[in-house]
Amino acid sequence: MKKLLSLLTCVVAAPLAAGDFSEGSKAKGWGLEGEQKALFEAKVVDVMCELTGDCPENCADGKRQFGLLRSADDVLIFPMKNGQRSFYGAVDDLAPFCNQTVMVDGLLIDNPELGAKNVFMVQFVLAADMEKPAKANKGTKVWAKRHPEAKGKGPWFRRDPRINAIIAEEGYLGLGLEVDKEYAEENF
Amino acid sequence: MMRALLAAALVTAPLAAHAADGARIQVSGEIIDTWCYYSGVMGPPDSTLGSAHHTCALWCSAGGIPVGLLAEDGTIYMILKVGEDDQSAGGDTALRMAAHTIEADGMLYQRDGLNYLLVNEVTSDLDITNASHDEWGNNPAFSFPDPNKQK
Repeated sequence: MKKLLSLLTCVVAAPLAAGDFSEGSKAKGWGLEGEQKALFEAKVVDVMCELTGDCPENCADGKRQFGLLRSADDVLIFPMKNGQRSFYGAVDDLAPFCNQTVMVDGLLIDNPELGAKNVFMVQFVLAADMEKPAKANKGTKVWAKRHPEAKGKGPWFRRDPRINAIIAEEGYLGLGLEVDKEYAEENF
Repeated sequence: MMRALLAAALVTAPLAAHAADGARIQVSGEIIDTWCYYSGVMGPPDSTLGSAHHTCALWCSAGGIPVGLLAEDGTIYMILKVGEDDQSAGGDTALRMAAHTIEADGMLYQRDGLNYLLVNEVTSDLDITNASHDEWGNNPAFSFPDPNKQK
């Protein structure tokens, strides 16, 4: 806890070197292209609201993508991913913090060749009323609450009714069931 | 102590939200899974496009990972709305278009190095035109379950 308070003090009190927000980060590296650990303070905003002024109540209840408006430089960071391995975004983990200023810890992705700039994987969130940072790993639990009918074994993405309906109609490759059949015969 | 620190942070944080100016554009390209394309977590960018990545793109889109449009010139647009559907996190409209090649008319907003697109209208949807599984198989490999193991 003392370490956390110490790093928070550093982040709040001292402007960081341009582009480097890695000091104090406890984020886990994923070995991603252009990843940089980053701990920073930001306001959780509805991106569409921030850009256009179209601002429904409570950030549209987490149906829209969030942004992280970084306090140090007013840069809009785009959080694409939460800390889970299982194909889940950051929205359900950030929704409880709509329009709050929080500390976030995670990985910034900077890959100019692909145009990746100011995109982020959030791994931890700390708000004013929290005693310690929370892992950004709640997404699949939120999914399970939304889909009680899909309760069962296996990962969420194998049980999601919408995904399964599209695969049943279009196949895994999306080109129709005949193409799937030919692919399976050739490859399995 | 922690509350005091965050209270101080709240006071010092910039408060002004500033809407950017948008520009109307028409753009064509492929609906992509932005995280896998940008991060390299699933391999080279080209392996995260088209039919090879269709199932993973469904997983990511349903999981709320932002959907993008990869234009023919390589520019990526983060899609925040399609028609009347502004559910850009896990919404049905974008989910249905995973890996499709489309033409769109919309409003472009640029902010801090990223392009954000509010699609007013999908003017054409050609379905999946990039049969990338011919080159990449299915990516990730487990996205297409072995039918022999399902029996």
